[in-house]
Amino acid sequence: MVASDLLTQSVVNGLLLGGIYALAALGLSLVFGIMDIVNLAHGHMLMVGAYVAILVFTATGITPLVGMLLAMALMFGLGVLLQKVLLKHVVDEGLEQPIIVLFGLALVLQNLGRVILGGDARTADIGIPGNGFDIGIAFMSFPRTVTFVVAVLLIVATWAFLQYTKTGQAIRATAQNRTAAKYMGIDTDQIYVITLGIGTALAGAAGALLSMLFPIDPYVGWSYLLKTFAVVVLGGVGSVVGTLVGGLVLGVSENLGALYLGGGYRNVVSLLIFLGVLLVKPEGLFGSSGGGE
Amino acid sequence: MARDDTFPRRTYLKGAGASGTVALTGLAGCTLGGGGDGDGGDGDGGGGGDTGTGGSTDSGEDTTPLTIAGTVPETGSFSSLGQDLKRGYELGVERMNETLDREVELILRDDESDAQTLREQLQAIVSNNDVNMIWGSFSSLLVTAGSAFAENQGLPFLGIAFAYEGPHRNSNYEWTFAPFPKSRDVARSTLGTIELVPEEDRPTNIGIWEPNSGWGKEQADYWEETLGDAGYEIVMRETFEIGASDFSTLISQAQSANVEVLLSNPTPGGGITAVNQMKSNNWAPKMLKFVRGADPSAWWSALGQDGAYALMCPGWVPGLTGNGNQQLRETYMSTYETESQYMPANVGGSYNLTQVAEQAVAAAGSVEPEAIREALRNEEFQTVIGTFGFEDNGLPTEGQLTAPTGQWWEGAQRLAYPNTDSERALDFKYPIPPWSER
Repeated sequence: MVASDLLTQSVVNGLLLGGIYALAALGLSLVFGIMDIVNLAHGHMLMVGAYVAILVFTATGITPLVGMLLAMALMFGLGVLLQKVLLKHVVDEGLEQPIIVLFGLALVLQNLGRVILGGDARTADIGIPGNGFDIGIAFMSFPRTVTFVVAVLLIVATWAFLQYTKTGQAIRATAQNRTAAKYMGIDTDQIYVITLGIGTALAGAAGALLSMLFPIDPYVGWSYLLKTFAVVVLGGVGSVVGTLVGGLVLGVSENLGALYLGGGYRNVVSLLIFLGVLLVKPEGLFGSSGGGE
Repeated sequence: MARDDTFPRRTYLKGAGASGTVALTGLAGCTLGGGGDGDGGDGDGGGGGDTGTGGSTDSGEDTTPLTIAGTVPETGSFSSLGQDLKRGYELGVERMNETLDREVELILRDDESDAQTLREQLQAIVSNNDVNMIWGSFSSLLVTAGSAFAENQGLPFLGIAFAYEGPHRNSNYEWTFAPFPKSRDVARSTLGTIELVPEEDRPTNIGIWEPNSGWGKEQADYWEETLGDAGYEIVMRETFEIGASDFSTLISQAQSANVEVLLSNPTPGGGITAVNQMKSNNWAPKMLKFVRGADPSAWWSALGQDGAYALMCPGWVPGLTGNGNQQLRETYMSTYETESQYMPANVGGSYNLTQVAEQAVAAAGSVEPEAIREALRNEEFQTVIGTFGFEDNGLPTEGQLTAPTGQWWEGAQRLAYPNTDSERALDFKYPIPPWSER
């Protein structure tokens, strides 16, 4: 029998981690929902963002929270470049060609990371003073709390951007019907560029936040791709709210799986939930057949 | 196991005839912990009867060069250990060239902390050289890969940083020897370390984090049995996945179970991550032992003062005395520029391996694999980690080795158990204070 305080602490830890999972998955969800591309390099983009924050922190001592902004800018540029140079040639050529291109990109990023930075895992400190605090029912770790708050703020900002800006509305229109959007005067090619830029920047931001909690090595991309994919399926493709909920569910289920069944089952439990959702509600908890928010 | 005959050219280089009687040379005196003399015992000559074109002196003594293949993890997840292992090997080979009446060559490659790469590297070396012996890498994962290769080739294999006993018992080892404290020794050493604490302050609650691996289970079983039999309470034993990066659940469980002594054998990266997360969760045990996890210098580089108090069992720790420890220290300090007076632990571990190799070859009087193996099986070895022989399965003879336990203190690993009179040893620091007081 697990003590109630232990159960509560595990749930809280899972929620705090789930916020970053949601942010990491949001970029994948946007690209999937709007461009119909499964970005197999998403986890590796996250890895690159993490390394940017770690390198900035290591070289200057500046908190990875600042490094995160740099990572987002760089990754936005990478996303734009990727769409303009590579993906625009294959984006409407069915599911397979973009997948192959992005799989290749993932391998390139992984091997570049290994060659340039070595295979050793690296990590960064949060770099700002502060202590964890007790909220009565659980202890709130300082780095986890800060990264959770930043992740949620970024998710809300992305949602607000999509909801209230003209570009955001154009993105949503493109997601709903690209042809109709074109007839309405929307430059859908440019929307794809912006979308991939945002998706990649969000991956970079999540990587920077994760670098404050967990070690990063060039091979972490695949495991985070799996987690983010599970979140997207759980929450529903293209749904910001669904992605947030999916991330929180994944974080909590991982922790409860580890608590009740042992650490070896951490990923098994979460992926079983993922399979269950696919069977029962394949469009996800908040998804709709039309896609988009 | 028959030797693989796919490398027949080795037979042309068999040692010259006379290898019957062997004069052992240059074995250091003293025993672990000071005192006592020893010359390494008498060799029985081992593999006689060699004929061929190998070198020999006028007196008929075999002087065939000794060629050793080996790998170290210079890159990859164990890279923080690679340089230390390499230095111990290099110092040892230098000494072997001075004391053995034959040329000794070590061909060392980077295994990238990867078992497959290790096999490929060893295959490449063995294919292009007349190798007489193989030296291992780091960790059970890599050492067992090297061992499997050596068993297949019929070449004597020496491996350290390899506490896992299971392969010795289950893999019918014929060529593998581990001059290194094993899981059972680590458990006994843990008990000895706890009992350094005055009885009135001694902790009773033991927590074990068990990596989901064969060695993880074996080590956890030994800890549970040894400490349980001694009256300590195992209040927590939970598994985690090797490579896991989130220890928050385990930390919460340890805190909830009131764990005082936390024992585990994580990877170096996992150990560092776990301590970081203990700090951010504001929890620390009174005593922390991370076998292998706290071995590398990277522990202190990554954690700084947060890594203080942690215990480890790397096979050798600064503070051990006798059996060539003084020579090792002097040679290391004169060879490598270092500001610290404390050598990295894994230098001593790999240097100890070279002492075993040297004494085995000297006893064998030949570089013939069979002769070296017989010497390994029959001789008693005096090295910087102690005096011991081997069982037929390659385990150090039970009860002969004490696993030296080091403790991180002011940036160095220093001997906490057993006690010696070395100024590089320290009085076991206990308990670990809460984070708020550090």
